[in-house]
Amino acid sequence: MPKVTVNGTEIEVDKGTTILRAAAEAGFEVPHFCYHPALSIPANCRMCLVEVEGAWKLQPACYSQVTDGMVINTKSERVVKAQKAVLEFILVNHPVDCPICDQAGECKLQDYYVAYDSQESRLRAEKVHKVKVFPIGPEVLYDGERCILCTRCVRFCEEITATNELTIVQRGDRAEIRAFPGRELDNKYSVCTADICPVGALTARDFRFKCRVWLLNSTDSVCTGCSNGCNIHLEHFRNEIQRYRPRFNPAVNDYWMCDAGRLTYKEVHTDRLLHPTNNGAELNWHAVCETVADKLKRAIDEVGSDKIALVLSPQASCEDLHLARKFASDVIKTSRFYMGGKRDGDSDDFLIKADKNPNRRGIEAVFGSTTAALPFSQLVDDIEAGTVQVVYMMDQYMPVDAATAARFVERLDKLKLFVFQAQHQGALAQKAHIALPVCSHAESEGTFVNFEGIAQGFERAFAAHGESLPHWQIFMRLAQAMGKPFSYTFIQQIRKEMFAPRPDSVASGTAEGVPVE
Amino acid sequence: MALVETRPVNRIKQNLWDKSYIPEIVRGLAITTRHFFRNMNPDKSQRSTFTREYPEVPTVYPERYRGLHRLMLRADGQVRCVACMCCSTICPADCIHIEAAEHDDPAIEKYPRVFVIDELRCIVCGLCVEACPCDAIRMDGGVHIPPYTERGAAFFDRDLLMERGGLSLAVQGGESK
Repeated sequence: MPKVTVNGTEIEVDKGTTILRAAAEAGFEVPHFCYHPALSIPANCRMCLVEVEGAWKLQPACYSQVTDGMVINTKSERVVKAQKAVLEFILVNHPVDCPICDQAGECKLQDYYVAYDSQESRLRAEKVHKVKVFPIGPEVLYDGERCILCTRCVRFCEEITATNELTIVQRGDRAEIRAFPGRELDNKYSVCTADICPVGALTARDFRFKCRVWLLNSTDSVCTGCSNGCNIHLEHFRNEIQRYRPRFNPAVNDYWMCDAGRLTYKEVHTDRLLHPTNNGAELNWHAVCETVADKLKRAIDEVGSDKIALVLSPQASCEDLHLARKFASDVIKTSRFYMGGKRDGDSDDFLIKADKNPNRRGIEAVFGSTTAALPFSQLVDDIEAGTVQVVYMMDQYMPVDAATAARFVERLDKLKLFVFQAQHQGALAQKAHIALPVCSHAESEGTFVNFEGIAQGFERAFAAHGESLPHWQIFMRLAQAMGKPFSYTFIQQIRKEMFAPRPDSVASGTAEGVPVE
Repeated sequence: MALVETRPVNRIKQNLWDKSYIPEIVRGLAITTRHFFRNMNPDKSQRSTFTREYPEVPTVYPERYRGLHRLMLRADGQVRCVACMCCSTICPADCIHIEAAEHDDPAIEKYPRVFVIDELRCIVCGLCVEACPCDAIRMDGGVHIPPYTERGAAFFDRDLLMERGGLSLAVQGGESK
């Protein structure tokens, strides 16, 4: 293994390591624009030039591989001079409109200018004017003046999505990024180009001008758009999610996520159920729990536990489902489960999965088998047949076609009791005898198990909307009201129990016993 | 036993005439009477009162006085503000609310769709003026923040703040033309 010296620090690195990586391992930052760890290396921005002893010219650190005994200096006078020159060159035609630019605050050009240049402009001539606010795709806008032509976006479309929409047109100071004639940047991952853009040239239409990035708080979370479970930075300001940004996880989503997933945050803030209601009248939690307990007890006496159905939601976290299972087996004493959740959607061979529920594998892990829950269409038939007279439903999603869903909503009138525990208002909330408001994944913590069986924890970002509570807390309150309290105080206790091997469980997927990240 | 340090104080001996306070009372009355007759002088410049006849006579503030905010205008009468949120970020009282929107003109690109200052919450520190990169907000009108009888009247919106604004000497965008 080659030994190299970076700024006097000697380290041993793998063969084929680039100088930039070796310097990073030694603890020195080499500034760079065009280099991205997931993309090919064009070495066109020249920001990463470093001095290598014995070489006449400065070497691009992102491209040059280390050799044994190499002596590298990333901070010498020549390097500093080159960095200043490169930044001055990039800024010649840059509009420096940071107050207007959405990237300000997370802009590499801004950061590097402060860290490596910070000299006044010597340019007195008028800057070259290029295209502004150009709709390069349905989700992305392009600003030619701010673009530093690092070609990260071009390489993303060539190498990651393999859709090849973008290229550089014109030459010299008139060069711009454009889509090929008759095409636009409309692949399913197009907003990733705005993420990897080191400056504010590509901006996401959805996030544009919505919030300054320095005001955002970031919470580590998981996208709920599909069963892939892309890791995200859930970025929020004043109790409202402003955007999702992919979080690096080589086992799941690398640096990327899809455009559709990014927009799923909107669901969190629309049509939320805010207060527990009993036949449409708002109640407080204490009163509503007493009412539910009373009604459930009466239903158990009248129709028997086996006619009570619990609709499980693959949108809920493992902790929620674990308590749902416990509530059903210990308190109601029923084992009649049905599978809720969203309907299947589109898929591709990269990140988007057809199963639009983040935690279907979680149900398998918690309930021990895939056949624990009956299909939803069966529930409609069972209500019609009278074998189900009480429905306790988690979340409003129905994995059936519109006709069956309408039939289900119609049949709800036949039920003795319909308890609806969900995030959103709608036809089901109106029909419900009892409607209980539930938090979204942004307002509670928990675990999702993705389609590969990787259990991933997500954190609570902000306070719950209205009086909503997480599913597991509602089950705790109901169990308490029914006189069979669960002995949990913290969600960690549920987590410990949930992933511990159970004597009654059949050997189930890889999620069993997988440590929470 | 602990020793206590003492310091002798020289007391001025007063006789019975001094102790009656009659000479001091007369002296005080003489000063008051002198000021009374001086401020009754028909020539007002000879008087020594500091009373301002507010609000009949308006107060003149010093040049750098910070008062009510105003939003400056572009040459064509549009708001100079580009909704960069620097002022609302630095505001220690958190009294500025801005919602940005896309402007029809791509050269302007961004403008404040909503710009509200809660003048009651404002602590008149002037940091918003210092933070503004394009001379869009000022507090130099020489008008102090008026008293309000209604809470809602203290919310100054964009158009109200622009009414009090004017043109700026600075070139928008900072480019020399």
